[in-house]
Amino acid sequence: MEEQLVLRCLLVLGSLLTAAFILRRVRKAQVQIEDTIFWLGFSALLLLLSIFPQAAFRLSRALGFQSPINLVYLLIIFVLLAKQFFMTIRISQMDSKLRSLAQRVALNEEKIERSRPAGSPEVPAGCVPPDSPQGSPAGPRSVSK
Amino acid sequence: MSKLLIVIPAYNEQDNIVRVVTELAEHYPQYDYVVVNDGSRDRTAALCRAHGFRLIDLPVNLGLAGAFQTGLRYAAENGYDCALQFDGDGQHQPKYIAPMLKLLEEGADIVIGSRFITVKKPKSLRMLGSYLISWAIRLTTGRAICDPTSGMRMYSRRLLEEFAQNLNYGPEPDTISYLIKNGAVVKELQVEMAERTSGQSYFNLMRSAEYMVKMGLSILLIQWFRKRDTTTPYPERSL
Repeated sequence: MEEQLVLRCLLVLGSLLTAAFILRRVRKAQVQIEDTIFWLGFSALLLLLSIFPQAAFRLSRALGFQSPINLVYLLIIFVLLAKQFFMTIRISQMDSKLRSLAQRVALNEEKIERSRPAGSPEVPAGCVPPDSPQGSPAGPRSVSK
Repeated sequence: MSKLLIVIPAYNEQDNIVRVVTELAEHYPQYDYVVVNDGSRDRTAALCRAHGFRLIDLPVNLGLAGAFQTGLRYAAENGYDCALQFDGDGQHQPKYIAPMLKLLEEGADIVIGSRFITVKKPKSLRMLGSYLISWAIRLTTGRAICDPTSGMRMYSRRLLEEFAQNLNYGPEPDTISYLIKNGAVVKELQVEMAERTSGQSYFNLMRSAEYMVKMGLSILLIQWFRKRDTTTPYPERSL
């Protein structure tokens, strides 16, 4: 029972730290709320496991695991793998969106440059947003750094 | 009269968009509007161009929050006093714009076109979510919002800039609850909404469940931890 107490304390600690970290990011407006849901759920799962270890015991016995800790490990690995899978899909979609955006910007630049008569100023009027900082015109050149 | 911009986010609305915008442009020329095409895969953008509607054509799909924010950035950059979120599917009726604007000018930060002030909210499965969100907002802010999921909302200049620049300001009930908690004045006006005539609702059972989990967690838990910061400009959020 002793070593289980240590494990349970670790689980509680991990759960609280996870929640605290993600909520701190929300506070600083560094993460979108929909992305916090997984981590809050994960934190709740760890907390439940540490408060009600009987659940892990019963389930591991029912499924024929040698030790409840194996079940806990397996569960966590599975959850993280699933998360990894969905993140891969999301990154892939973001990648293709980024590509399509960059192409759109570049094609628009080309259109603007072509439509500009030879010898006219470098930065066409209307390309600078109204309150962009001075000295960094958002002209065609500043995009390709 | 304040200068109002009607923001119409449109995703795959080729069957409705022309009818909706034509009605606005013909009968309500005193208001400006802008259609934000959210990377539709159908002919929404082409139809808007063909009819000469004012259009912001997003090259990729950003989702409702991203598309609406685009419209609000447009409003902020072009000096509008207030903005109205208006559906592109014909659910919302423009005859309610004038009374909503009046309420806003009388001193509100947000005016919600609400279906359930004088009308009883039906006890159906579809409205279960609405009940739960109303209850969550009431629990956390003490204010009763009869129709938190209504998509017809008007925002004042101050909020318009805040929405345009910040993260986690989706046009959703959790943002409303967060703003109420931070002292925003939210008023509701009884409106009637039409049933959508064509096209498909974004919500199916799975999506609804996902939405409810997100809203529930967000309103009941996450909003307590947010800090309202309207002064520090992040590099990526400056207009």
